[in-house]
Amino acid sequence: MKNSFFTILVIAILLASIGIISIYSSAYQKENKIWEAVYQRQLLWVILGLALFFCFANFNYRKLWDSTYFLYALAIFLLLLVFVLGVVRLGAQRWLKIIWFNFQPAELVKIIMVIFLARYFSTKSVDDVALRTSRLGILGALILPLIFVGIPVILIIEQPDLGSGLIIFLIFISMLYLSGIKLRHIVFFSLIGCLLLPISWHFLRDYQKERLLVFLDPNIDPLGAGYTVIQSKIAVGSGGIFGKGWLAGTQSQLRFLPEAHTDFIFATFAEEWGLIGSIILLALYYLLVKEGMRIAIRTQDHFGRLLAFGISLMLGIQIFINIAMNLGLAPVVGLPLPLMSYGGSSVVVTFIALGILVNIDKTRTVF
Amino acid sequence: MRIKAAKIIIALLFLFLLLGVANLELIQGKKFRDLSKKNCIRLLPQMGSRGKILDRRGDVIIGNFLSYDVMLMPQDEGVTVEALAKISQILATPVSNLRNNFKRNFIAPFAPVIVANNISMKKAIALEELKLDFNLDNVIIQPHPQREYPFLGLACHSIGHLNEIDHWRLSKLADYGYEAKDIVGFTGIEEKFDYYLRQEEGGLSFEVDHRGRFVRLLGFRPPKSGKDIQLTLDLKVQKIVERSLNDRKGCVIIMNPYSGEIIALASSPNFNPELFMKQDPAAGRILNNPDAPLVNRAISGLYPAGSMFKLVVATAALETNKINLATTFVCTGSTRVGREDFACWDTHGPQNVMKAIPHSCNVFFYKTGLLVGPQLIYDYALKLGLARPTAIDLPYEAGGFIPNPLWKRINKFKNWFNGDTANLAIGQGDVQVTPLQIARMMAVFANRGSLVTPYIVGAIDGQDISLYKRKSIRLAFKQTTLDSIRQGLRNAIADASGTGNVLSNLAVSVAGKTGTAQAGRGQPHGWFAGFFPYKNPKFVICTFLEHGGSGYMSCVVTKQILEEMAREGLI
Repeated sequence: MKNSFFTILVIAILLASIGIISIYSSAYQKENKIWEAVYQRQLLWVILGLALFFCFANFNYRKLWDSTYFLYALAIFLLLLVFVLGVVRLGAQRWLKIIWFNFQPAELVKIIMVIFLARYFSTKSVDDVALRTSRLGILGALILPLIFVGIPVILIIEQPDLGSGLIIFLIFISMLYLSGIKLRHIVFFSLIGCLLLPISWHFLRDYQKERLLVFLDPNIDPLGAGYTVIQSKIAVGSGGIFGKGWLAGTQSQLRFLPEAHTDFIFATFAEEWGLIGSIILLALYYLLVKEGMRIAIRTQDHFGRLLAFGISLMLGIQIFINIAMNLGLAPVVGLPLPLMSYGGSSVVVTFIALGILVNIDKTRTVF
Repeated sequence: MRIKAAKIIIALLFLFLLLGVANLELIQGKKFRDLSKKNCIRLLPQMGSRGKILDRRGDVIIGNFLSYDVMLMPQDEGVTVEALAKISQILATPVSNLRNNFKRNFIAPFAPVIVANNISMKKAIALEELKLDFNLDNVIIQPHPQREYPFLGLACHSIGHLNEIDHWRLSKLADYGYEAKDIVGFTGIEEKFDYYLRQEEGGLSFEVDHRGRFVRLLGFRPPKSGKDIQLTLDLKVQKIVERSLNDRKGCVIIMNPYSGEIIALASSPNFNPELFMKQDPAAGRILNNPDAPLVNRAISGLYPAGSMFKLVVATAALETNKINLATTFVCTGSTRVGREDFACWDTHGPQNVMKAIPHSCNVFFYKTGLLVGPQLIYDYALKLGLARPTAIDLPYEAGGFIPNPLWKRINKFKNWFNGDTANLAIGQGDVQVTPLQIARMMAVFANRGSLVTPYIVGAIDGQDISLYKRKSIRLAFKQTTLDSIRQGLRNAIADASGTGNVLSNLAVSVAGKTGTAQAGRGQPHGWFAGFFPYKNPKFVICTFLEHGGSGYMSCVVTKQILEEMAREGLI
């Protein structure tokens, strides 16, 4: 029991430290004073995150079951609030200004949706101890949860934040798969999804369409939409085996790489630490996700089990898409790398999620 | 079941990322490293000047002058346009040209951009005044060194010209740091010693950020000027020689008979090397000119040796004791070899070797040649340096050719007849020599038996390199042989009936041999090779006139040269 707690804590602290080191490097040569404070702020967020991690590690996760509907309502409320009071940055309205910091509700909505789905798929019928899910019809298994998930997803995509919306959607699909829903329902759902893809193209913003096209061929617009992908690939590729060394990465230091401290933190790291650093980083992330999966598998409680799966997958999907995007293997969507990217909301929510995960492992023996 | 699949999928996805990272960092790492350097490193080049070419006294034959480039400091659009408009007025070039140059040469927002180059000093001064009048601080006039040809075509064949590197030379020189668009030497010293003459580009290299703003200086390499090369040419003699050749096709070589230093080397017609640098259409005409002005006739031209070859036959005969000084043949105007009559150009009567050389009697040499035999003639021709390059330090030297029986058998499937020997003995038929080979052969008689290696580069960067030259070869000829041939050569000038008698009443005593070589078409070629002063020779001269009519014409040119040299006190 203690094992998982410490494994996760150590890995999380390691990753957060690597993140701070990389953020420090990416902001190192910038003449502006604001940039110097960036890594200090991240340090504060990590400390706050760790505090919340310990809180949630001792906060019985079953209480989340009880407050699920409250949390869901809170999520919708925050998303609506963003539309009204949101701060516009980088052409998108994603942030809420709370006293002295900006908060991104979409990050919180991710974990809330995981809790919500875990509860939804672990309800038992009144007269039976068995799970309802395997006997759910198409309405209960697909349509209802889709509507529940669809509302926040549409609100997020409208901000616009395609990345977060997409992540929640992917979490939904993978949790459907792991919740024991009939396979034909999932297949049916995927087919509908495929059919809807060409239609959804028309609902995308121009910049999102550009990014998708650029993903297919970055060179169609090397100075515009393709610039980020090209520079990110150059940053990663120029690292070589041993990297250029800390504070010596030209791509990030000289700001050829945009968003070097947030979405493209991996490229910053890979440029300075090379293949060896990248392998260690990937291994740490893999161990983290694997530890989450192990907790899920040994948990008997259905809610806890699904919740642990959901959290592990949420992390895994974000890690995968973000790094793939850094390598030019996935289209560029605004998505942070958990624990490493600069950004309070992401760091805090990730630590909360890890706290819940640890608590599931701690509490399971009680049942 | 589903959980296991999920675990495998997660593992596979991480493996996919790992492969992606390895692909970028390992397999494509080199490419991306170059790209990242290109991103952030800029160069601001500065040019050195190419090495000068000096004559033996240290006077400049080819130097450098300053040409001026107009540079513009990039500022906001309006200021740039205004400045370009002003510049275009003075330079009389359209603004659009300047704008294009500006865009093409742009390096970074803080580095000056070249908008026009090679403007004259007059225009440069005009622009400097303009700067003051209109307060155009963003215009910079920068001088840069360029090749200067104060004597235009003088010694152009020895020195060569400059041009943009061609594909063939680039493929040969790429390993030595040459790049496309480099200016390199073509022919002559400029080509052979390009590596020494060549300036090294220096400049500033600095790091810029994503907007091209200056971050820090990475390094400065001062441009290096090329090394100066001092030739053995004497500018004064060279001028006299070229003046005397005038417009006649041909060449003159004056050489030190002991060291092989080339004192003057002229080939005519010549060309103006300046034209190549200016991309002048006249340069194209030079290339297509049927008179081949680019060819250095002294080292690359192959001609029949004519009577000059008689010296080879005489040496071979005396050395192998086939004849002695008393051996006499009677010239009756012609002689019969096999079934054919071989004519002499006159009827000379009884001739021994001391008389046959000055009279250039064909009959004497037909008979001597038949006595010696073709193989020995061939051997002695080789000993005297014919049929192979002299190894002068100039590119594109021809080797020449001397026929022999074996060669004829192998290549023409024919037997060697006595008629062939007779033809060979007077240097006709397949014999091909370069004027430099003849000059070198004459040097053997001038210096009494040493085969020298001619050279033209005396010092590089002030360091004497004659030590590294190939030593002269001592030929084991008998003293009597050399003395009698030297006497014969002197007689050719001093005797009233000698072929080179025109040269007799000069201030300096000359010895030499004339030759009139039958050319395939047109007038015969005129040869004269000799040395002076006779007792202690200081110079060997070879004057060759392509289709010049006769050896007499060459003597006339030689006389003119010697007279002028004497007048200027150069002998």
